[in-house]
Amino acid sequence: MGGLVKLAWLFFKIGMIFFGGGYVLIPLLHRIMVDQLHWLTLKEFLDGVALSQLTPGPLAILATFTGFKVAGLLGALVGTVFIFLPCTVLMLAISSRYEKMRDMELIRNTLDGLLPAVVGLVAAAAWNLGKTSLVSGRDFFLLAAGLLILQFTKVSPMFVILGAAVVGLVFHFS
Amino acid sequence: MAIVSLTERVCVHEKKWVSMDEFMHGLAFGQILGPFSLNTCTFVGYYLRGPVGGILAASAFITPSFILVCLLSWLYFRFHELPQLQSALNGTNPVIIALIIVAAIGMGRSKVRGKDAWIMALAAFAAAALFDVSALNILVAATVWSLGRSWYRREHR
Repeated sequence: MGGLVKLAWLFFKIGMIFFGGGYVLIPLLHRIMVDQLHWLTLKEFLDGVALSQLTPGPLAILATFTGFKVAGLLGALVGTVFIFLPCTVLMLAISSRYEKMRDMELIRNTLDGLLPAVVGLVAAAAWNLGKTSLVSGRDFFLLAAGLLILQFTKVSPMFVILGAAVVGLVFHFS
Repeated sequence: MAIVSLTERVCVHEKKWVSMDEFMHGLAFGQILGPFSLNTCTFVGYYLRGPVGGILAASAFITPSFILVCLLSWLYFRFHELPQLQSALNGTNPVIIALIIVAAIGMGRSKVRGKDAWIMALAAFAAAALFDVSALNILVAATVWSLGRSWYRREHR
């Protein structure tokens, strides 16, 4: 029970600073779940990102995976509900009186002003994760191939991930 | 964000639940906190049926992904020692990093404009990548800084 409360509080806090789309969750969850609490290994974390990208939902569904690892199905439910609670409550509050544009503008400007930091954090996440998980030449080959496909074609990330899984399976990546 | 254009097609064009203008407002507000695909659903739900509608729309949107991830997580933690699954997942790891880099490039192009923005982005990168500062602290600091600046500009214009 104490574990679940801790899980709920942690995801609620993450939900409150969840600015600039889902990718900011990668540095946040990596730091908290892998480095600080050791609830996931780095490998599990990366695999969890891959699994969460196979669904139509937002990247934040990574909370479901993390919750599942920590406390099974109930943990998955608690993680999911609490990470989405702050943004849903805020959205309901905004929807109920969305004429107040003056304060809205302040919020929009604040958001625009902090987004560069989010970009820096997401880039740093790629750096930190790559530093430990890219080891062999073929890892870098797959990284380059993935970059080219994702940046210059419109192939859905879901298919790129599945394709990479097939490559890993066929060539026995270890 | 294919899922947002699908939402738009159904809610605006097929069912005519909300007008295009209202949908665009919902989309704009949805970018403040959290994933905007979910927030847009909450907005449309609220517009149609009040708070209960908003909560219901959000829950219904997330449920299929939730079930799928629970199922995949169960399979993963049960079978991830299998060598075949290990190989397949090892193949996906570099691609996940590629996906994160592409996300940073895409956001950088649209959100990092001007010298101040570049300094902030580079400072955040350096703090997180080189000096091991927690992303949480960097985000809170950036929020306080940006709120202060927006406030100052509003009061002194």
